[in-house]
Amino acid sequence: MLIAKQMDIRANIKKYFDLAYNGETILVPRKESKNIVIMSEDEYNRITRAERLGSYAEKITAAKSSAIAEGISSIRNDNLSKLENIRNLKDNWNGNGAPALPINLIEKTRKLLEDLPIQPEIFPTALSTIQLEYDNSRRDHMEIDIGQSDMAEIFIVTYFGKEITENIQATSDAISRRVIQFYG
Amino acid sequence: MDNEFKETEKLYRAVYPPDVMDMFWKKDGTISSAAFADPKGLSVDRGNYRTDSEVISDMKKRFTGNIVSVYVKNCYDAGAIVRYLPSKKNQYHSEIHGSTDTPLLSKYQRRFLALRAVTVC
Repeated sequence: MLIAKQMDIRANIKKYFDLAYNGETILVPRKESKNIVIMSEDEYNRITRAERLGSYAEKITAAKSSAIAEGISSIRNDNLSKLENIRNLKDNWNGNGAPALPINLIEKTRKLLEDLPIQPEIFPTALSTIQLEYDNSRRDHMEIDIGQSDMAEIFIVTYFGKEITENIQATSDAISRRVIQFYG
Repeated sequence: MDNEFKETEKLYRAVYPPDVMDMFWKKDGTISSAAFADPKGLSVDRGNYRTDSEVISDMKKRFTGNIVSVYVKNCYDAGAIVRYLPSKKNQYHSEIHGSTDTPLLSKYQRRFLALRAVTVC
């Protein structure tokens, strides 16, 4: 970028216009910082196009974030709706004497689903537990059994058949950390 | 029929509850291992080499939900055992157990069978 005084510009206007036309930008300082930049039409168009693209990219990023948030919210709503179906299961719901799932287990699971940033798929079991399932892109599989105790039992089978069993606190924080680790 | 199960025989599992038919199906179309958890042993109908249609038609007399099948070989490969336990109402009734002294299938066995189960109706 060149810097030229107004006086020079006036005296050599063709020279500065030619410089600008050939790709140079010229800054003309003025009082109170009311400065002017001289540039070619091509350069001006390049800058405004980049500005538009930048704005477009920002909009795309915002739209993506919004879509992800809406997606998570939609899966959570599906899970909460399914949890209501689980709540409505009566004694002997599996045809082999399984008891209805305890109300406090349903409430505990509802709270977890409301808090978990990565939503599982959920299933009742005849063992009076609710099984949360996750599958990652490595094709590992994780089951988290939520029962009435303060602990949750985790069972992982990796794609290669390795089994991992763990017990963690049945809190949304502890489960979220383990889930993030599973996907990491 | 006796207590002998050949690896090629099919076993059919009615998946409850019949009024919420997709309760145990995952979004990818497979069945959850949770459907194979039963502390009393996993009730199944043995196929006895009938066709799927014959078995479905017979089971539908007693049940209105979905039915999946696994081979006896799948149970053996998982280390589970199959018991023939006919009842007055159902001559085909059998159970899959985790071991000779534990009716409940282990988590690994449940997952193993869930991955190999085929939805027949």
